[in-house]
Amino acid sequence: MYARIEIATKPEFTDPAAHGLLRRIELAHPEIRKQIRWARWVDVYWLDVPMSREEMIPVITEIFWDRVLQWLFSGNLIPSAAGKHGGVLDLLETAPQRPGKFWALERRYRPGVTDNVSKTALEAFEIVTGKKMPEAEAASGSILLLEGSALTEESLSTIARSVLCNELIETWTLLSEKEITSSERFYPERIKRDFPRLSSRSTLATPKVDQYNLENLTDAELEKLSQKKLWALSLEEMKAIREKYKNPTDVEIEVLAQTWSEHCKHKIFGATVSYTDSSQSPTGSDQEIPNVIDGLFKETISGTTKQLPKPWLLSVFHDNAGIVAFDEDDAFCIKVETHNSPSALDPYGGALTGIVGVNRDILGCGLGARPVFNTNVFCVADPAYSGSLPDRLLHPRRILDGVRRGVEHGGNKSGVPTINGALVFDDRYLGKPLVYCGTGGFMPRVSAGRKCETKEVQAGDHILMVGGRIGKDGIHGATFSSLAMTESSPMSAVQLGDPITQKRAADFILEAREMGLYRAITDNGAGGLSSSVGEMAGLSGGARMDVGKARTKYPGLKPFELVVSESQERMTLAVQPEKVEIFMALAERRGVEVSDLGTFTDSGRFEIFYNDLMVADLSLEFLHKGAPRLHLNAEWKGRAPIQNPAAMRFDAIAPDMLLALLTHPNIASKEWMIRQYDHEVQGTSVIKPLHTTSPGTSSAMSGPNDGGVIKPKVNSTSGIAVACGINSKMSDVDPYLMAQSAVDEAVRNALCVGADFGREDSVFALVDNFCWPDPMQDPAKGAALVRACYGMKNAAMALGAPFVSGKDSMKNDFRGRLKGADVTISVPPTLLVTAVAKVSDIVNARSADFKYQGDVIYLLGGSEFGLQGSQLAQMKPIPADSKVGEPDWGLARKVYSWIGGATGKEQSKLHSLHDVSEGGMLASVAESLIARGFGAVIEIPAAQVNEASRDTSLMEFSFGEGFHSFVASVSDSDSASIEAEWTALGVPFIRLGKVTGTGNLEVKWTEGTAPKHWFMDVKRLRAAWRKEGYWE
Amino acid sequence: MSILKPKALVITGDGINCEVETAQAFRLAGFDAEIRHLNDLISEQLREDQLFPRYSALAFPGGFSFGDDLTSGKILALKIRHGLGWDLARYAERGGLVIGICNGFQALIRLGVFGKDISITHNSHGKFQNHWIKVTPFGTACHWLKGLGTMDLPIRHGEGRLIFNPSRRIEVLGKMDRKGMTCLKYEGDPNGSDMGLAGLCDMSGRILGIMPHPEAFVRWTSHPEWTLTPARANAPGQGLSLFENAYQEAMRAL
Repeated sequence: MYARIEIATKPEFTDPAAHGLLRRIELAHPEIRKQIRWARWVDVYWLDVPMSREEMIPVITEIFWDRVLQWLFSGNLIPSAAGKHGGVLDLLETAPQRPGKFWALERRYRPGVTDNVSKTALEAFEIVTGKKMPEAEAASGSILLLEGSALTEESLSTIARSVLCNELIETWTLLSEKEITSSERFYPERIKRDFPRLSSRSTLATPKVDQYNLENLTDAELEKLSQKKLWALSLEEMKAIREKYKNPTDVEIEVLAQTWSEHCKHKIFGATVSYTDSSQSPTGSDQEIPNVIDGLFKETISGTTKQLPKPWLLSVFHDNAGIVAFDEDDAFCIKVETHNSPSALDPYGGALTGIVGVNRDILGCGLGARPVFNTNVFCVADPAYSGSLPDRLLHPRRILDGVRRGVEHGGNKSGVPTINGALVFDDRYLGKPLVYCGTGGFMPRVSAGRKCETKEVQAGDHILMVGGRIGKDGIHGATFSSLAMTESSPMSAVQLGDPITQKRAADFILEAREMGLYRAITDNGAGGLSSSVGEMAGLSGGARMDVGKARTKYPGLKPFELVVSESQERMTLAVQPEKVEIFMALAERRGVEVSDLGTFTDSGRFEIFYNDLMVADLSLEFLHKGAPRLHLNAEWKGRAPIQNPAAMRFDAIAPDMLLALLTHPNIASKEWMIRQYDHEVQGTSVIKPLHTTSPGTSSAMSGPNDGGVIKPKVNSTSGIAVACGINSKMSDVDPYLMAQSAVDEAVRNALCVGADFGREDSVFALVDNFCWPDPMQDPAKGAALVRACYGMKNAAMALGAPFVSGKDSMKNDFRGRLKGADVTISVPPTLLVTAVAKVSDIVNARSADFKYQGDVIYLLGGSEFGLQGSQLAQMKPIPADSKVGEPDWGLARKVYSWIGGATGKEQSKLHSLHDVSEGGMLASVAESLIARGFGAVIEIPAAQVNEASRDTSLMEFSFGEGFHSFVASVSDSDSASIEAEWTALGVPFIRLGKVTGTGNLEVKWTEGTAPKHWFMDVKRLRAAWRKEGYWE
Repeated sequence: MSILKPKALVITGDGINCEVETAQAFRLAGFDAEIRHLNDLISEQLREDQLFPRYSALAFPGGFSFGDDLTSGKILALKIRHGLGWDLARYAERGGLVIGICNGFQALIRLGVFGKDISITHNSHGKFQNHWIKVTPFGTACHWLKGLGTMDLPIRHGEGRLIFNPSRRIEVLGKMDRKGMTCLKYEGDPNGSDMGLAGLCDMSGRILGIMPHPEAFVRWTSHPEWTLTPARANAPGQGLSLFENAYQEAMRAL
């Protein structure tokens, strides 16, 4: 029978869900918030369960109703479950204003959208009744009850659209007071009508496969067809397909389109490149960039690793993730993905699937690894953005709030600690936010007698799809993200994740791995089965797959949809025929669904059937090697001159500048976000994203750490450090330096928390993630890409740190309309570098806080800072004589090898280490002071001040940004021996001052012979850094 | 003398995710720990009267069983009740010890272990929070907390606000206080929990439900301020003492 269940918190208790929503309304529409006098949240369930009324009542009561906390409204089904009226009227009567003016906003999912809560509700019915109920259906939603005499239909629809719902995946209805108090919505006919069902529920008698006659199409028609079908195939690619197949089926073209998509194939990184440097004054370190490049990936990324053969590299680039040895018994792996396009449309679902998706990469890496940490980096526009928004774009606050919730649900629910991350704000991310999701994995080097990095498939192995079911969600994700985003970007590209289905599948797979129940594994990500089976078929030499055998969320999917759907939580495994039965039995016991789709072959063909009908027959050779190669034109016109320079007086502006920098969202505390991520599950975290003094007391205070360290093994004191570097603002000066800076920052951050570095056996690896505006259309953006690749390569070569994995996203542009006019928003060229390294003994791991009064503060390593490309330059015009910080990799190696334990013995005496990055040296000192709240005296050495441009050089030493630089603190009694070692090893250092107990930061310098200084209360630094208000 | 090692059964499956570190905490305290999937226990029909003395301790670890859908711990509790039908009070009476941590605690509450007038719901600030707090044991009833002073432990939850039936609150709280069931309180107010309650035990003192994660502090390097005292890096964390207490009690009961 049908039932509608509404669950409300009793009026005696506060209602955090309603409060949270009010807070979001307050941030987005303060004027509407003022109109709301009262709000309550009600959970709603629509049920269609094959049970009688009498059977249903006790079961519903047991599953849904917490009598201590809640009221349950169900029309006349269970009338005694609320106050005196037995309905929502009881709740309305508790509003302070009576008689009030009441409204309700009812929210439901659109048909076909993943609804995890309703799925769990149905499972609960099966648990309680002990019966399988395949025909039962459920849906979940909510009602927001509001009271306010000034509220209008207009203001309520604004709330619904811009706060409550994402209309891509949800719908809403506005209910008047009369409708709320009426019981009509509980009538069976009405419940039936309200059920979010897919309209087409007919099972297809004959599957529909279209064939395309390409032979007589003109070039324009070929292009149009590709565009219309969202294949993202270029004219050359369409022609290449026509050359091979005159009448391809839709399944065949779809498989080719997915496999050849920029997202999967990385065609731009494989393209031949012509590079011209037409700058007036060529700059130093980039001279060796060749004019003709045979593929950027080969020349600068895999080529770099090839030149850095390390005994601990187990698998690089050809698997889902890079695998390195941890010790003789275990290995770890790392992968960082981007999920930008889906996150632009639905930030919550986009980020959630980004995380569970990259977790699957780890699960499908080698023989399968267990995720042990997440690292997430988001680039968004300023949450305080107050300009107009182009059609279809979401406000950055919603983006940030959505991705935060996505990580919270994706990371926390999967039981994977989020131990590292970054947030970067720049209004050019308004068109497409960048959502980088990374995961580290851990696995034994040998499982059931096989090496962990083994990737082999034999003809005859079964193709098993494990985990979730296939739906229409996520069709064309790969090709969609290979196009610029427009107003008409499809909603089918959006998916929601189901962390619990995936957690079950993950637990099962690791169990099956240890029992040796499968030969190979990979994940279903972009391109769905077309990519996962297509790739694995390359290992055996072919595959014969019947997608009619795949489990689906609902009937009616076309064959091509089954092949390319990116529905989540699915892994593809190659299982030896003799092990299929035992594999299936274990899966059944673990509540994990498996579909047996066919076998891998050695026929050289990728054959796809829908039941008995062959729907695709592709040559594997053509599939994997038939895509025509692209050509990228790149022209570098040189660094731009400083825009609108203006002089500045150090003594006049420095104190306020420091406060302004600490308050800037790029530097300010991210504690509000970090605390909502579980960064300690698994019990392994050693260095957490924040260091905290006096935890658990009213004076608890946290400051930032540079990266994270976990101790992944019970019986080993070694750890894994993870950190990242990202500096997109430097792209405006020179993408070459931007990339070098990203590598340098990632390496320094890892060193700060205790990474080994510099010995032959020091495990230290890098991961690259490029997010670019389309470089194919504009030689300047092409040049930015070329320069970034070479900058990154040269930095990694100089440091001897190989790349083990990476990913690129090349279409981060938005084309749409703003107030009727065309508008294009492109992200700044952005490279994220993630560093992972071993920490031989975690006792040497470090946090960034100054720990003891009297400690000496040093500037260690680089000291050549510039204001160009700095955070300060984003906030204020800079002087015409401002410099650019330039790297010195020879110096870097010396400094890093000492910190990393390769050359000295005094490094364990460092009490704190923090890198100098956004905001420069003084911001770094302030961050080290913020938590413990001592004080410090910082003396700017006269040698650092160029008297001819004194103010600029004071500003640059204090706030400029550069390379290879750290703020360190050391006990006074150790300073002599540590300085002696630095001098002996050629590690540059400047004694900056001391940690004091004054509660003030004092900055001293001399002008001529006149001593000058200023003070700043550390409490003000804290207050500036901890400014919140970006979020719900 | 491995024959004398008491055994701990650590439940997993359906989104539980702290089983590994929970089992490890038991091992460090001297137990043999076995991690078992709930579905296996159900298909084996492991009865409550078979649990003791085979298992001296039973743990429901933290995690997000069933995604916290409907209500945290709810569906897990339904599955234990309908799939296994264990009477945990009887198991405790026989000599067993039970700990429910975070999501496991929520499930124990849904099972009615601490009475039917108590529930646990969303933090009053509405957010999932991960930070370290101080908790102080009260009374002497709880075997897991015997002799322990104030501890630093991490909390990692969105639903940690303990509440009582409004019409019976004073009566119920009074009774629970008298029986020593209100055995662990926060310093400060991290989530709006009534009376600052961080944990409860049953009347026997053998079943403990606790929101903070003792299994996440078995080694000093887990503490957020350990870098201030690196000489203590390899020292045990304060959370381990709960499991050591359980070991002492299990040895006594064996």
